[in-house]
Amino acid sequence: MIEPLQTVLIVASLLLAVVAGVYVALDRSPDNALVAMAGLLELGFIAQAGIGIAQVIGGDEVTSAVTYIGYLLAALLVLPLGVLWSLAERSRGATAVVIVAAFTCAFLVVRLVQVHG
Amino acid sequence: MAERAPTSGSTKAGAGRVLVAIYGVFALAASARSVVQLATKASEAPVAYGLSAIAALVYIAATLGLAEVGPDPRRLAWAAVGFELVGVLAVGTLTVLDPALFPDATVWSAYGQGYGYLPLVLPFLGLAWLFRTRPAR
Repeated sequence: MIEPLQTVLIVASLLLAVVAGVYVALDRSPDNALVAMAGLLELGFIAQAGIGIAQVIGGDEVTSAVTYIGYLLAALLVLPLGVLWSLAERSRGATAVVIVAAFTCAFLVVRLVQVHG
Repeated sequence: MAERAPTSGSTKAGAGRVLVAIYGVFALAASARSVVQLATKASEAPVAYGLSAIAALVYIAATLGLAEVGPDPRRLAWAAVGFELVGVLAVGTLTVLDPALFPDATVWSAYGQGYGYLPLVLPFLGLAWLFRTRPAR
């Protein structure tokens, strides 16, 4: 649907995973910079959901509208939940949660592109 | 054993937080998939879709248990992760032997091939983690 934005989202998600991986390696807890990066990425996902839903309502051809919108909305939850779950504890494991969330985001965008068909 | 001290007893601390996060992703994914399947085409493949719904509930229960939500989370986690292991092995074996049995894919089809075999690895990690964090007697 919005290929340039989705390419940016995939790259940014993978970048966040790498940065979070560096934090884990250095045994640093997420700081404001990392949370801000996740916040910025979340804005991208909000834009994606807005544009995507508008396009479906506007009559854009999708293989399964329910699945497509489901993925768009699910993608909004991943980063906030992941960051909250990560911030609640200070440990390597908690920081690594951001990696899981970031990879999930990248995967969801790939699935969105596939589902759009 | 030195590593065990900070995490002992809690299934959601340390590496457990990653495990809960991964289970959470599967709970979300399996639930969403199941709701869509049941809402839009339940009659097409009732067995596969019923199984998807069961898998979703198992992942939700495992996530809650490992995240220590509810009155007896450890027992819930043991039960859910144990069921998950049996489920992925049984459904995996059945789908490999007789692909026609489940016309539409579930999370556990072909041992979770569609999800990079994570559904097969996850219950072993879960059981190992529950064993490792078991309360001292």
